[in-house]
Amino acid sequence: MFKCCLHSQLQFRSETSLESDHLMGSREPIVLIFLILISTYESSAKGGIAEELNEEFTEGLLLRPLPDRKVLAHFHFQSSVPPTRIYGRHHHLFPKSIYQLVNKFRVREMELSFTQGRWNYERWGGYDPISSSSAKPPGVELWADFDVPLDQVDDSWRNLTHALSGLFCASINFLEHSTSYSAPQWSFHSFAGKLRYGTLPREAVCTENLTPWLKLLPCRDKAGLSALMDRPSIYKGYYHSQRLHLTSDDFGTAKSNAGTMLEQTLTVVLQPNTLGARAMVSGKTLQPSWSLNSLFGRKVHGKCSVSKSSNVYVQFEQNLVSELKEVRKKSEAPESGILIHDDFGNNTIFEMSASPDRVVKEVENLQKEDSSILLEFLVEDYNDSKPFDLGLRWKLPVVWSCQQAPLHASRFLMGSGNERGAIAISLKSLSSNNTPTVGCCEKGSQLRINIFQVVPWYVKVYYHTLKVFIDGELQSTMENIEKIHISPSEDKVSPGVMEMILRLPCGVITAALTLEFDKGFLHIDEYPPDANQGFDIPSAVVSFTDFQASASFEDNLLNKLPILNELQERKHVISYTEVLLVPLTTPDFSMPYNVITITCTVFALYFGSLLNVLRRRVGEEERRLKSKGDFK
Amino acid sequence: MIYPPPLNLVQFSFLAISEQYLSILTQTPIRLINYRFRYRSPPPFREIDDLSTAIESSPILFPCHFRAVFVNFDPNSYTADQLSISVQAHMAKFAAKNSPACGTCASNVTVSVTLDSNSNCISNGNNVDWKCGALNEFKFAEKHEDGLLDEDFASLLDNNSGAKVYTVVAVKTEQEEVRAVVGKYRHAWIMGRIFEEEAIEKIAEIFVNVFMNGGKEEGLIHGEFMPLGADGRIVLSFNLLNADPHNWIYDWDFQEIDENLLSPVIDALKPLADVSVESQVLYHTPKSSFSFWDDRLDSYIFSTKDLPFFVNSNEWHLDTSVAAGGLSKILQFVVYVPSAKECPLQLQLPNGEISTTNGFISPMWGGIVVWNPSACLTDSKIKHPLRYKISSEDSRKLFEVFMGQLRQLFGLKSDGLFVGASGTSILLASERGFSEWELDVLSRQHSCFNLLQCGTTLGSLSRLVQSLPRMIIMDDIGKQVKYSLEAARLTLSNALLGIYDASAGMFYSSAIWMDCN
Repeated sequence: MFKCCLHSQLQFRSETSLESDHLMGSREPIVLIFLILISTYESSAKGGIAEELNEEFTEGLLLRPLPDRKVLAHFHFQSSVPPTRIYGRHHHLFPKSIYQLVNKFRVREMELSFTQGRWNYERWGGYDPISSSSAKPPGVELWADFDVPLDQVDDSWRNLTHALSGLFCASINFLEHSTSYSAPQWSFHSFAGKLRYGTLPREAVCTENLTPWLKLLPCRDKAGLSALMDRPSIYKGYYHSQRLHLTSDDFGTAKSNAGTMLEQTLTVVLQPNTLGARAMVSGKTLQPSWSLNSLFGRKVHGKCSVSKSSNVYVQFEQNLVSELKEVRKKSEAPESGILIHDDFGNNTIFEMSASPDRVVKEVENLQKEDSSILLEFLVEDYNDSKPFDLGLRWKLPVVWSCQQAPLHASRFLMGSGNERGAIAISLKSLSSNNTPTVGCCEKGSQLRINIFQVVPWYVKVYYHTLKVFIDGELQSTMENIEKIHISPSEDKVSPGVMEMILRLPCGVITAALTLEFDKGFLHIDEYPPDANQGFDIPSAVVSFTDFQASASFEDNLLNKLPILNELQERKHVISYTEVLLVPLTTPDFSMPYNVITITCTVFALYFGSLLNVLRRRVGEEERRLKSKGDFK
Repeated sequence: MIYPPPLNLVQFSFLAISEQYLSILTQTPIRLINYRFRYRSPPPFREIDDLSTAIESSPILFPCHFRAVFVNFDPNSYTADQLSISVQAHMAKFAAKNSPACGTCASNVTVSVTLDSNSNCISNGNNVDWKCGALNEFKFAEKHEDGLLDEDFASLLDNNSGAKVYTVVAVKTEQEEVRAVVGKYRHAWIMGRIFEEEAIEKIAEIFVNVFMNGGKEEGLIHGEFMPLGADGRIVLSFNLLNADPHNWIYDWDFQEIDENLLSPVIDALKPLADVSVESQVLYHTPKSSFSFWDDRLDSYIFSTKDLPFFVNSNEWHLDTSVAAGGLSKILQFVVYVPSAKECPLQLQLPNGEISTTNGFISPMWGGIVVWNPSACLTDSKIKHPLRYKISSEDSRKLFEVFMGQLRQLFGLKSDGLFVGASGTSILLASERGFSEWELDVLSRQHSCFNLLQCGTTLGSLSRLVQSLPRMIIMDDIGKQVKYSLEAARLTLSNALLGIYDASAGMFYSSAIWMDCN
């Protein structure tokens, strides 16, 4: 951890030095910065060693206005513990259950996410770190990497799914069957054969999954930022994804001191309450104003007492920042200074209810003109008598769009009928839609796209029918595929897995992959309760390996915060496609009942009339009636 | 005239026939499927029945060996055989008072007696290895420390044969006060001016009530509810609860506690159970009931009748432990640090006094100790809570209480005194928490109750299978039934030979297959 830390610091410093060099045009600052760099390195090294011997818990919340009048709230909690051989096995902050889980199943890395709703890549962004790490497929996604011999990996996986299922009150144990999980070789995360990946697209996520997740936090939802998690407010949002990411170094042969780290995030997209009619200014609708209280119905009453830091950030994206500048220029020509020097508490475009304690600016990349801005608010100074309620009120209408992934990935089904069909994955460039995309690669080079797709066995994919279309034209398949790995499905044993690296020319507008399949037949036992609804094909994972979704901030090096680290972590741009719903031939489950009832009716009618015929004597009855009449 | 068909009849026959058809149409294929995938392996009914009747008909009693050594008594008044018979008679009298509980010694006890006086040394029985005259140089007039004396006796009585022999040494001295002490090993001694009859009665009482029954009294936890998992494992889960971390946050050095205070106890319990320890610190864990302020005692009072509402199962999430499988037993030990609003918090006994340990136990669940921080009375209006560490002195005190609670949960006494009909005996506390004779008592009880449970479980399984001939028993379950039957038989025969250490360990049999069903 320390090495990696140092590395990023160095990199970061070199970037700033370049920039300042460029700005000032003299040599002295470089020397100065170099000195600072050395001194900070030394002090952080000392601080690092002292810190490593202790457990740590931090909490953070990132809020970001979204272009479509919604607000993204991203809670981030991190607990870390030094390795067992140094620190021992008794902890005062790290959750006991997770520590035991890691040690019992020898988990090296694990990620579990519960998601409801679909991340809207077009509107909410597809290039930033949050969309790459916290936009997850609907339902449950679990992957884990084990530090056990290869032949025990499956057993560990099965036990882990059962343990997690109990821990999180979810049906994760359905992932124990070999038909429901797969072992990606290289495309998903590169671990040598010890990684298992499984999804449950239809798992409903609700508060019973959130409560055990909150139990892992030392303050649960009693204090600190997690106190904002009012269940009705969270679950009425458009998207929520609760995630748990675990890394452990306890079993590694390398004597690193990273220990075990548990990262918990909750990402929600909420619609602020706009009471009454939408506010209009000069014919345009204003963005909705919001506050923590209006979003969550609660306020923050101070930080969690055991947390090391507790900060709230408001992020203005790069496009929004440039838009703000534009608006500023238009409205008041003389004051067209750079936004960063402005008063963020109250300016002509928006107003914050509290002034930020710090403004963190993203370090500009060469390609970007403006960079995103983070406003930092410290929760520490607030308490019960003075709760923290951050509000943002827009004064002028602003329109912007999010940064998009290089290509927008979607997936759909083709064909009709219950016999066969085709899966198509389409990749579309959004640059035509007048939205600025990330600068693609240079002319002549190629765009590499990694696709990982798991298909259940009852959808029998014919992988030889793989076709690649680029800009609507059929291409020779092998020319555009750099690497491919296919493990065909085996009936009732394993799902089909396809991993490939696709190479596309740079200026591509649309690209599509199609695969034909036959629909299989299931045994009557294997149908789920509502079989007529259809069967889910889990999301495909599309990652753009040439692009890094990371932002580096000009942050004070000495107090690196996990939530900023998460944003700065170098990751590929990843997007998940939609879940597909395949209707399979389902038997008419009511047929036996229908047959029984019809047969029985026929029998009953037959026997009834037969009995009537046999037992009734018409003549006798008439005689009796007559005799009755005679009496009268 | 045309009569409508009798409607009732039609409906009735429809129902009847449809039911029949349903059964024909639906059940047959399912039954066929079942037969295709599952196998039937009938359990050995006869053997199971034999075993369960053998266990249920007579209580399982273990053979025990006792030895009484009389030092400095007049060798002419009684012979060794007379003394032996007399002790046995008294033992029978004491044993008759309480019905033979599970895990006690058989009635046909053997008591070997040695008479050691200055002049001669007589003993009956063959396996007596008392070193005659060993106490001749002993200065009885001086005051001796019990712990050192215990070690002295241990070296004197050290027998390498491995058999478990319980010894009481009665020494006649000139001291007025008669002092009876039960040591940490398998012996006790009585010293003072004492006569034979008196000594015989006291010896018999120590044999029966202490060595055989573990010094139990009414009101203590019954042996059947010993907190031991069916697989012989216990997880001791220690929790430090900070009721309100806004006031103060306490932490402990559990690593040190684990190494220094708990590991000897775990080692001591090893023959009985596989104990593992885990710990956690929790925050925001208020108790669920209220306490009231008492001016006289200058503290908040929580009375005994409210104790059932002390544990707040909504907020105290103590339960999860991956380490404990389905059959292990978890004992929770909780240190409760009250918030500033209720500090100092004292538990009040029914007689109005304040509990000295400030803690309580809940059988089969664990124990709770309220620990009042010393910062209690100082100003609590601190903006940022302070972090403290419970000092090692305080944590040692806390864990002494926990050890007492653990002993109580096992049904043993925690006050170190045995009050019998013939006077009070001191029970020496072992630094390892449990003395050897106590562990013997626990092993015997554990084996006995496990055997009983195994017998009833297997017996009811056999009855169930016999009454439901169509019940399908998978092959591996059948195998486990056979295995557990074998284990039970082995344990039974071992128990009759007196090897109960081994038998305690191998008793996961009854559990195994409960798991399978």
